Amino acid sequence: MKIVIADGMHEADYIISKYNSKANDLIVINEQEDACKYLSVSNGIPVMCARCTRESDLREAGAEDADLFIALSKNDMTNYVACKTAKQLLGAKRCIATVVNPKNVEVFRKLGIDSVLSSTYLLGEQIRNAASIENLINTLSLEDNKIIILEVRITPDLNVEGKTLKEINISDIGSISTVTRNQKVIIPNGNTELKANDKVLIVTTEESREAVTKVFQRKK
Amino acid sequence: MSNSNVNTIVVGAGRLGSNIAKKLSNNKNDVVLIDKRKDKIGNVVDFSGFVAVGDATDLGFLEENGVKDAKLVAFMTDDDNTNIFLADVCNEIYRTPEIYIRLKDSRKMKIVSSNVRCICPFDLSLIDFDEQWKR
Repeated sequence: MKIVIADGMHEADYIISKYNSKANDLIVINEQEDACKYLSVSNGIPVMCARCTRESDLREAGAEDADLFIALSKNDMTNYVACKTAKQLLGAKRCIATVVNPKNVEVFRKLGIDSVLSSTYLLGEQIRNAASIENLINTLSLEDNKIIILEVRITPDLNVEGKTLKEINISDIGSISTVTRNQKVIIPNGNTELKANDKVLIVTTEESREAVTKVFQRKK
Repeated sequence: MSNSNVNTIVVGAGRLGSNIAKKLSNNKNDVVLIDKRKDKIGNVVDFSGFVAVGDATDLGFLEENGVKDAKLVAFMTDDDNTNIFLADVCNEIYRTPEIYIRLKDSRKMKIVSSNVRCICPFDLSLIDFDEQWKR
């Protein structure tokens, strides 16, 4: 896969280290000289010191026909123009822009940028999810956050109340390990029905955590 | 632009922006001149329109200043990327009929919609040099 990484410092470093392999063709372009040096030395790859909003600079870096173009500048406008240039003039298949101002997520999407990411925007979404399932009392993570254990108290306003595990069926995203009812711990099976005041322990992965919490949301 | 009495917005209160704002205002248009630098706005003299200090890339702020009803917008900030973004916003979201932007790098015109009119000071200077030189 041909991936172009434009601007950014630690974000760029992380993405480069994640995708730096023989399977990928990484093109790294950065406006800041110190960032160029840092990224080049720490990853052992060439970094082009040039402007990612300039068509000629991008061509010189060899950024044509990228499968993925990622713009990581701290300046939202730079990321917008870089993605637009990559898409319209250099044939990039897919563009990702990061934004500092979360309000730009929706605007950039409307203007045709494939994916727009904002850490603050994501945080906002997380908070909204968390707020909708305040029953989720405890979480524990193991194995460097790879395994997540969630504890949920079942209340009558939850979607899952009164349903059997077979009906809830979260087998793709996690498993309901124990149900605590009247201080007794039950190892549940498919026919176990979740009732109000039950405490449920769910084992899942970091990736599936959100999907699991959605299942335990309140009734709309 | 020869019409008068239309709502217009000018962003960027440098020399070019503020003089465009004055011209529009002298032609009896309602003008809002926007800049995020308070001192720049304060330095504009002989301008009878409205002024607003704020970030024009914030759409909420643009809407507060009447972008939805504007018939003409001019983005004259010193950052090409900001001007291009604002032009796209007005062209694609607000469907503003008349859009002008300043571009320092005229090669960026390639990614600007044909509905947007670009003013490129560098190119204009070169043309002017050519004309005076050949005289």
